[in-house]
Amino acid sequence: MSSDYEYSDDENYFDDGDDMDTQEDAETFDEDEDDVMGVDFKTDDKGKRKAYELDYSSFSQSDVEDLMKKDIEYICGIFGVDSGFAALLLRHMAWNKERLVEKYMDNPDKLLVAAGVAAPETPIVPPNRLKSPTASQAGNTRRPTRTGSKLLGFGSKSSGASKSPTISPTISPTSSFSVQPKSPTSSEPFTCPICCDDVPSLKPVALDCGHAYCSNCWTDYISAKVNEEGDLIVRCMGEGCALIAPDSFVHSMLIPDPTAPIGDAEKEEANGNTWKRFQELLVRHFVSSNRDLKYCPYPGCTNTVSCPSAASKLSLTSVVPTVSCGARGIGGQMTQSQQAQGNLGLAGKEHKFCFGCPIDSDHRPVVCGVAKMWLKKCRDDSETANWIKSNTKECSNCQSTIEKNGGCNHMTCKKCKHEFCWVCMGPWSEHGTAWYSCNRYDEKGGIDARDSQSKSRASLERYLHYYNRWANHEQSAKLSLDLYAKTEKKMEDMQITSALTWIEVQFMKKAVEEVDKCRMTLKWTYAMAYYLASGNQKDLFEDNQRDLEKAVEDLSELLEQQIEPEMIPTLRQKVTDKTVYVQKRNEIVLDDTATGFIEGRWKWNVSVDGFDDPENTD
Amino acid sequence: MDARLRRVNKEIADCKNDKTSNIKIDLIDESPFHLKGSFPGPEGTPYQGGHFEVDIVIPESYPFQPVKMKFITKVYHPNISSASGAICLDILKDAWSPVLTLKSTLISLQSLLCSPEPNDPQDAEVAKHYTTSKNSFEETAAYWTHIYAGGPGRSSSAPLKGDGQDEIAIAGLDPAHVSGFEALGFPKGKVIDVLRRLNYRGANAAKITEDRVVQELLK
Ligand SMILES: [Zn+2]
Ligand SMILES: [Zn+2]
Ligand SMILES: [Zn+2]
Ligand SMILES: [Zn+2]
Ligand SMILES: [Zn+2]
Ligand SMILES: [Zn+2]
Repeated sequence: MSSDYEYSDDENYFDDGDDMDTQEDAETFDEDEDDVMGVDFKTDDKGKRKAYELDYSSFSQSDVEDLMKKDIEYICGIFGVDSGFAALLLRHMAWNKERLVEKYMDNPDKLLVAAGVAAPETPIVPPNRLKSPTASQAGNTRRPTRTGSKLLGFGSKSSGASKSPTISPTISPTSSFSVQPKSPTSSEPFTCPICCDDVPSLKPVALDCGHAYCSNCWTDYISAKVNEEGDLIVRCMGEGCALIAPDSFVHSMLIPDPTAPIGDAEKEEANGNTWKRFQELLVRHFVSSNRDLKYCPYPGCTNTVSCPSAASKLSLTSVVPTVSCGARGIGGQMTQSQQAQGNLGLAGKEHKFCFGCPIDSDHRPVVCGVAKMWLKKCRDDSETANWIKSNTKECSNCQSTIEKNGGCNHMTCKKCKHEFCWVCMGPWSEHGTAWYSCNRYDEKGGIDARDSQSKSRASLERYLHYYNRWANHEQSAKLSLDLYAKTEKKMEDMQITSALTWIEVQFMKKAVEEVDKCRMTLKWTYAMAYYLASGNQKDLFEDNQRDLEKAVEDLSELLEQQIEPEMIPTLRQKVTDKTVYVQKRNEIVLDDTATGFIEGRWKWNVSVDGFDDPENTD
Repeated sequence: MDARLRRVNKEIADCKNDKTSNIKIDLIDESPFHLKGSFPGPEGTPYQGGHFEVDIVIPESYPFQPVKMKFITKVYHPNISSASGAICLDILKDAWSPVLTLKSTLISLQSLLCSPEPNDPQDAEVAKHYTTSKNSFEETAAYWTHIYAGGPGRSSSAPLKGDGQDEIAIAGLDPAHVSGFEALGFPKGKVIDVLRRLNYRGANAAKITEDRVVQELLK
């Protein structure tokens, strides 16, 4: 066995073992290359892609808008319609160009009505096709509007304009309304049927159907749709009218002609924001219609990730598509933990999320289906498991209450000095040696259980074993961030009182980030182990898990030490070495698991969508 | 003037001036955005002769968002919650259009009383009653109109007690059924509750075994 690594800490030599099929490592660690902190942690990323990585790319909102434009232009070219109509048609068909062309060829009138581009009673419709959809069918109304509600259109008597026979409900493909809102020509004074305003300057504005309202009402209506309902379908306000306002119409109602500003700065800003939101909704709709794309779930972020290799359901049994949108930190409002990170001086976390499922964090190494199953189980059993999550426990020796205040699991009772493991409450002496065995559940107890009552108790105990460790890593990750905030403050103070440079006190940050990352991995390894069928493969998996956990706990403990200025150089060396080691162990877990999925090596003890059913469970 | 206020004021005035419809809109307090609408129950329905009041709240973005309405008067109807007065009607939700008005919406409510939509119920128990035994449903609806909406009541309905309210009739049940199970030693309130939930009415009662009822009563 050879190792490419050098460690100052001699008890943690990286042990490959014979049973792990690790490839020859291309990575090297240049410890003494430079003093710059980034280089401290450098691993050579060049070379082959790892099994747990996959190709994806991220797009900004305007990149996606370009993609949309391409599709729109394509449809314009084929149908000879203007871009406003093309966009409505594409939206109606969920951006499926082929289906759109097909449907259009089949029955263009029907499609135009259904897409809200044309009013239904078009004279083009031949008599044998009079059963074209009525307005309310074309609309999304849940049931035909009652006759009662049709009785009184408000102010319908006062405005003859809405029924003007001069307005043809048919569309010509190059009609200009999508560029310029139509103002029905009429000499009689206009009273807006919605706001009842009748000042002479009031101009009626209508879509092709001729249902005329004042522009203020259109603007308010669009704002309500977009901001309150998050709806990008702006139907004509006329009752039962199914025409949809094209984007250019929406734009013209929200963003005034520069030659005729509305002169109310507050309103202009609000309208500007509504237009922004509308554009975002358009992009979201496009993205959600496309299997290869996913919108970044982080609040305030407008990026999109494209990951075709994880677009099919089948692919999700062999890859865990963790992606990142490319942005970091927070746009929009912050959550509390994000705020904490901000205070930490961490540049802000990467926007990592799963492309294959709704989990908005990295759930490697476990595949989506199993992760989902586990989360559901945790939700269902939360009552039973809640007590474990609590932050206080009793010392197993003297029963005094102990509060956990850092991420480390090595607890020392303040009263009796008993040292124990926070997770299993066993004595720490059994953990701190080379053999760290807190991760493995002893199945024997469960097998011995004969009667159903002790069987169900055994199954609960088994679940709690995994849940306990799962929840603990999550909790520890949070606590170590808090701890880091304190430590960083302390180290900054030291910069002032000692000769240390800023660079020299930054090593903690990288270590905390790494611990955080690895606790994520560890957390999910427990979800995976809970469902793994017992046997050789599971044992190997748990060996890797144990090695990573031991390494993480060691590093975590190091980070919690009291810091004195004179010991900083040694501490720095130790922390840096451990960080690299931890990073390595994490890669081994991720790589081996991912390779296992590709090879179909993992077997479950329950049936999982897309995998073979367990051979036998008893 | 604020466009919403102008619009609502005009709507209230229009409604006052309209002598042909019998829809009324009144202020509850000084606010023009919290109102009370009322109308008579439609003729030829179990609601005939009743006076129905509706609580109206005008939202901030009215008329671009639908007005919020619920019945103040208790109504026995598949699309109206018998407990809260909440209404299931398309135009109060996604089929709302800014050209609709308070008056036209109240007229729609009136016509909803004429034509229930049991397939899209607000109150599932009432809807079951309606679909399985229409006659019994209408009797109950008329009884509710009588005791809650000041309606005349039907000569055929159960004889009124001193307080004018019969909980068996309110639940739309047959007094003979209720006393039958009461005789087994179950409290009256519980019997009414279970029979109502099981829709133990008319022809449907024959489909439910006595054991099933007792099972429910024992829960
Ligand atoms: Zn208006
Ligand atoms: Zn229209
Ligand atoms: Zn993002
Ligand atoms: Zn996933
Ligand atoms: Zn103790
Ligand atoms: Zn332990």
